[in-house]
Amino acid sequence: MINRDVRIITAGSDDVEIDGNELALRLHTSRGYTSPQIEECKKRLLSVIRYKCACIRTPVELSEENVCDFGFMRIPSSKLYKNLAGCSEAYVMALTTGISVDRLLARLNIVSQAEHFITDALSSAAAESFCDYVCGILTQDVYCVPRFSPGFGDLSITFQRPLLERLDAANSLGITLNSAYLMTPVKSITAIMGIKGNR
Amino acid sequence: MKDINELIKKQRVYFDGGTGTVLQGMGLPAGRSPELWNIEQPDKITALHKAYLVAGCNIIKTNTFGINREKFTNYRELISAGIACAREAVKGRENAFVAFDMGPTGRLLEPLGDLSFEEAVSIYADNVKAAAGCGADLVLVETMNDSLETKAAVLAVKENCELPVFVTNVYDASGKLMTGADPAAMIAMLEALGADAIGMNCSLGPDKMLGIIGQFSRYSSTPIIVNPNAGLPEVRDGKTVFTVNAEEFSGQMVELAKSGATVLGGCCGTTPEYIRKMIEKTKDLPYSCPDEKDITMVSSYTHAVVIADDPVLIGERINPTGKSRLKEALRSGDLNYILNEAIKQAEAGAHILDVNVGLPEIDETEMMLRCVTSIQAVTDLPLQIDSTSADTLSAAVRAYNGKPLINSVNGTEKSLDAVLPIVQKYGGGLIALTIDEKGIPDNAADRVRIAEKIISRAAEYGIKKKDIIVDPLALTVSSNPESAVVTLESVRRLRALGVKTSLGISNISFGLPQRELVTSTFYANALSCGLNCAIMNPFSTAMMSTFYAYRALSCLDAGCADYINYASALISAPAVQQNTAQGRQTSIAVNDLRTSIIKGMKDAAAGFSEELLKNTAPLDVINEHIVPALNEIGEAFEKKKAYLPQLLMSAEAASAAFEQVKKRIPADKTDKSKAIVLATVMGDIHDIGKNIVKVLMESYGFTVYDLGRDVPPERIVECALEHNCKLVGLSALMTTTVPAMADTIALLNKTDRSIKTMVGGAVLNQEYADMIGADFYGADAMDSVRYAESFYSGG
Repeated sequence: MINRDVRIITAGSDDVEIDGNELALRLHTSRGYTSPQIEECKKRLLSVIRYKCACIRTPVELSEENVCDFGFMRIPSSKLYKNLAGCSEAYVMALTTGISVDRLLARLNIVSQAEHFITDALSSAAAESFCDYVCGILTQDVYCVPRFSPGFGDLSITFQRPLLERLDAANSLGITLNSAYLMTPVKSITAIMGIKGNR
Repeated sequence: MKDINELIKKQRVYFDGGTGTVLQGMGLPAGRSPELWNIEQPDKITALHKAYLVAGCNIIKTNTFGINREKFTNYRELISAGIACAREAVKGRENAFVAFDMGPTGRLLEPLGDLSFEEAVSIYADNVKAAAGCGADLVLVETMNDSLETKAAVLAVKENCELPVFVTNVYDASGKLMTGADPAAMIAMLEALGADAIGMNCSLGPDKMLGIIGQFSRYSSTPIIVNPNAGLPEVRDGKTVFTVNAEEFSGQMVELAKSGATVLGGCCGTTPEYIRKMIEKTKDLPYSCPDEKDITMVSSYTHAVVIADDPVLIGERINPTGKSRLKEALRSGDLNYILNEAIKQAEAGAHILDVNVGLPEIDETEMMLRCVTSIQAVTDLPLQIDSTSADTLSAAVRAYNGKPLINSVNGTEKSLDAVLPIVQKYGGGLIALTIDEKGIPDNAADRVRIAEKIISRAAEYGIKKKDIIVDPLALTVSSNPESAVVTLESVRRLRALGVKTSLGISNISFGLPQRELVTSTFYANALSCGLNCAIMNPFSTAMMSTFYAYRALSCLDAGCADYINYASALISAPAVQQNTAQGRQTSIAVNDLRTSIIKGMKDAAAGFSEELLKNTAPLDVINEHIVPALNEIGEAFEKKKAYLPQLLMSAEAASAAFEQVKKRIPADKTDKSKAIVLATVMGDIHDIGKNIVKVLMESYGFTVYDLGRDVPPERIVECALEHNCKLVGLSALMTTTVPAMADTIALLNKTDRSIKTMVGGAVLNQEYADMIGADFYGADAMDSVRYAESFYSGG
């Protein structure tokens, strides 16, 4: 069932520029470094990547100190509370690069650890870059604070579950959680981004 | 009350429309489970059902989509209440049916997810048991994104009730399920499992489904359900709306009905008004149920392979007969070797992979299950499950994601009684060997007679002739000169009877010199006689050349495009075929082993190594060429003049060179003294760092016992003791798993203090490593190699 207020955002592989800094960080190289093997891995990854995001715009109540109440989930977190200071609404989102990336990584894990390492770095950077792309769309009309993800600071990773359920992410994005609250597809991101006000 | 299965064959039948989205419109708060209203607001649920029935639909879906034991502890009560609401609504109505609705579990099945297949079956089975006796007329499995989960749900229905089962999946704009299956793959699998009606729902509006319905009409012999959304929700002026209105929706449903959809309804965003208009516009359209398609298909989790005039290649390399390396891999549980064979065969052009793991000293069923699941994680080819054990066949066919080929049944009563019930239950293409109690007939007529007997017996189990692929058996021509002639005549006769055929081609040349010549010529003859499938070696250039040439000569390759591609690759990369230094990466200038390792060129490194070994002692190749090159790139990395990707590519190139050297060293002379056990500790599933260390260690000639990730301390100790290995490397990425690393080190120390531990990973540093008692902390992979080298050199 699609919740009426869930917005779906997709992008083609060409629409999202993989951020050079993110990639360099994960490849342990300097920004802009590339090689024929990296380019080959990138081309193969982009042929299977399927960017998709689900998000809602929801009220957030900050009346109790260090507690962020979104109605469908109530999060005790001083870091998130500080991050959302001054916000009465927030975007709650989940996004993924798709299950085909997991299958590609599984295959490369058998065939070539070098290509696996490079492709893993590329796909992590791609997921982050898609997140930036989505945030760019969501902030066209509003000012937002930096996004914040479960598992970061004192925001417990266990909040992945209510967040993903609210977005119906299993059906709309194919994102599921394992018992350790890790997501499949592996290159998926959940985030909360407070809205400061209209532009 | 009529039988729904009878009704859908005679007339167009209508489902209702959206439930959750309509209830949200009736005041259900966003994010609250609609199913809770079965108990809290049953009148509203019944009123919704009645509104759809008044609009004219025949089947209402119970408000039970999201219920299962994992989400609701009171799932039985919610299911019973949901069915009661629906029964109340259909009371007194003719031709009104209640569909017990089951949706996805919300978890992903193994191997990519963590839900086992049997656990998924069990979750659905509990739902079906809870619904039994509550008054449902059929079960609807809907909004399924994944083929294996769909199979689990259908099996649970079949095993726990007698009700008809209808199935709809969610196809996205690319025409595939989220996990990759196209309609043909789903049709093949669901018809094999005995679904009574199949189709699609949710996700797309009816206009987009028009692009997919053609595949259903082409392949499906089963009534076709189409329950689209009213388009996708969009935010307009701050409000969420569905993009397709009732008028547009009903108009597009007319087109879907004309294109072959036989059961119509709606999903998210549709209301009784949509359904009323849809029925009004489609009820007088001519109706025809899908006819029986004479198409032989098997499938994987992504696509179907049609067995018809275009020859099908079944890769034979995962079969231990005569393959010592595979036997060794099976005995040691080395799945990586087996998976590599699978991937290489897929890349070589096989359409289906035979999987046979029968060895007397291993648990065949357990190994077959591991192989089937793991191979399906790394290739998308359908599999041919090959075993003489009915228990192994049954377990593997059950867990297989798709519709497999099953190898095999024969004409003996014992075999027929054991194998046919498996095919009846799970479905599959069945390889039928023309052998019976008297053995293999020496003439074509008797082989055909056995084939006919098998087909006839299979029909008693409801198995269709189109799903039986007869193997009239290719026997060694060197011991029986007439064997090829008899086999070819059998193929010809079976073809004339409309029976599909398969042959294990390689047997024919056993015992002869230059076997490929005989095998490929026999293959060409068999193709000319009408052979459909060949179990063969896809690495054989002679066989692949015959395959492509035959297709070009038989009007099966438009413009000879496939043949030209194949021949061009053959001409441009002969060196790759021979694995010499002039590999496919020669576009980068390299002229020796050192450069090829430093440049990270695997094929070239293997080739140069092979060349060097002709005139150089194996140990000299290692010490004078491979290790210096590795040291050079290693030092560059340490001085930050080379990056990690370069180091890894070089390590893999060195490993490829090292593999050539190992071929020249007798197995009993292999130096296993430099060994290390590697593992990512329990609770941690991150293995990139550990894998980097593994690649480097192997490139330096270490024997690596890689235990993978999430490994319990006891398993690590057991492995170290088993191989008398005195060095253990542990990796952890998450702070939460460092305690598991400490536990592992403590257990190792307690067991044998002479075992040294080295640790690494993003969360570790020297201080942490000291605190948990590690002997060495490696800041990066080269650090680890240096330590291991010094450890074994007594440094």
